[in-house]
Amino acid sequence: MSSHRLKFRIALGLLILIVVQSLSAGEIQRCAVDDAGQELCVAAPAQRIVTLSPGATELMFAAGAGDQVVAVVAYSDYPPAALKLPSVGNHTRIDMEALLALKPDLVITWVTGNLPAQIELLHELGLSTFAIEPRTFEGVSGVIERLAILAGTEQEGFVEAERFRVGIATLLERYRNAEPISVFYQVWEQPLMTINNEHLIGKVLQLCGGVNVFGDMPRLIPRISAEVVLQADPHVILTASVDGASDDQLDRWKSYSTLRAVARNNLFFVPASPISRPTPRLLEATRLVCETLDIARERF
Amino acid sequence: MIRPLFTLGGLAIAAVLLALALGSVNVPAFDLWQVIQGEGSALNRTLILDLRLPRTLAAFATGGLLAVAGALMQVLLRNPLADPYILGLSGGAAVGALLAMLAGMGTLLISGSAFAGAMLAILLVFGLAHGTGSWTPSRLLLTGVVVAAGWGAVITLMLAITPSYKLPGMLYWLMGDVSYARTPWPALVVLVVSIVLIMPLARNLNVLARGPMQAAALGVSVRPLEWTVYLFAGLLTATAVTTAGSIGFVGLIVPHMLRLVLGNDQRIILPASALAGGTLLVLADTLARTVVAPEQLPVGVITALLGVPMFLYLLHRSR
Repeated sequence: MSSHRLKFRIALGLLILIVVQSLSAGEIQRCAVDDAGQELCVAAPAQRIVTLSPGATELMFAAGAGDQVVAVVAYSDYPPAALKLPSVGNHTRIDMEALLALKPDLVITWVTGNLPAQIELLHELGLSTFAIEPRTFEGVSGVIERLAILAGTEQEGFVEAERFRVGIATLLERYRNAEPISVFYQVWEQPLMTINNEHLIGKVLQLCGGVNVFGDMPRLIPRISAEVVLQADPHVILTASVDGASDDQLDRWKSYSTLRAVARNNLFFVPASPISRPTPRLLEATRLVCETLDIARERF
Repeated sequence: MIRPLFTLGGLAIAAVLLALALGSVNVPAFDLWQVIQGEGSALNRTLILDLRLPRTLAAFATGGLLAVAGALMQVLLRNPLADPYILGLSGGAAVGALLAMLAGMGTLLISGSAFAGAMLAILLVFGLAHGTGSWTPSRLLLTGVVVAAGWGAVITLMLAITPSYKLPGMLYWLMGDVSYARTPWPALVVLVVSIVLIMPLARNLNVLARGPMQAAALGVSVRPLEWTVYLFAGLLTATAVTTAGSIGFVGLIVPHMLRLVLGNDQRIILPASALAGGTLLVLADTLARTVVAPEQLPVGVITALLGVPMFLYLLHRSR
């Protein structure tokens, strides 16, 4: 059933391309709207792509265009092939000269992560930019498809997007009736930061039947105090670490024996990169969070 | 008297040429000459004319502005520890710039807001120190230091409440970043015009440096001169901070370094400060963008790392 839908999608995509080609003067126009609302049309598939965030790097490889990426930024550590690519600095401090010297034809930017002044400079220098920042699961699969269109790798990209979509749908179905369990997701220890339900991690928690105790806060990444965590008394405290190994980030809670999460030993770690980046690895991260919450549910 | 200025001028030109040639992509001298003549490859032309030339000229102008402002402040306040920011100017500019960033405004409005903040800071300190009629340098200094602390508190508050993703941009502005400057021309024009206008006053400044009583006795109209110098220093600093954020160290140390070598004649020190300050910042900026490329360092770190040993050496030698 799903492979039929997949073939239908590919056929539809190609049909759209053919229709657009017949309407335009000659060359096939590949157009996509970015997450800042700007439409970008390229006459030919982008061959020299620079990604200005680690997430964009992963998404570009997921879209099947890894061979067309000529430079990345620091921390672009997945997939392993990305480690061999040259870096043009940091997502907040881009080396413009190095970027220019590579003569890119497409630069993938990060809406809130790259500095506006540097994006302005990119535009002044005449470079084509495409801003991404998926905020939902559908946003992730959608952005893979749009990047695949721009890079001319629809075959692989649409397949990957569909794999992600189906995976999320399966998880959604499995955990639709899961018993709600209150969760506190700790983004950072000092200052104490968490996320609300608008954040992608908040949506991961919701899918797994978790109730984010700070989900209704107005800010995307609120800075809170220990007192409100004690007051909320979540069943589970979750945080991210390198490779999901236990470290000392949650040690501060162990001294509060009245916390339910501490009493039931529900202090968990998940791998940082998969859950923090809006990429296909989010599927595995979501699966892991759902299984973790199930373990906590057994300790009700 | 002119010879040191020629030497400094030569150094300045050499520093600018070095800055144009060096970078993540090193441009050999021949290619650089081609670009200057109007030819050269498209990449080299874009690199040099669109990226490096505006940035280098902005760095030169900012360094010059800060050094001259520092020299003027040191004369005005008769205090060797005075720097352009001592009267809270950079604090006011920072609050203006950060407010604009918080509101999500574009680069032009951020610069304008920074300038407005600096102007407000000048007027604030001026008004508060004026008080009951007579202001002495110590009163001005004290008022300025306290107001600067006030601005600092506002900046800290803004950093505490801003959403996380806006923080890097704000921090880089506070550390000083020459790459921010879109066009060097306002800063260069202000620098040149200010030097031209202030040179006639340099001789009077020499007299003022001995003390207001002595200066008044020698026929210098002290109060108007002090007001003029203060406003000039404020304008220079405001322009510098608006162009590249608050870059520290240059305004404090460059005049002292020059005094150790050239003596304390303001007629030499003021233009020399402009040239030496500009040269120092150009060299520092070149290092900042090449030493750990593609990582980019803030220029304020390099100015201190370069300037401190240089200054200590000169201080040691002058004994």
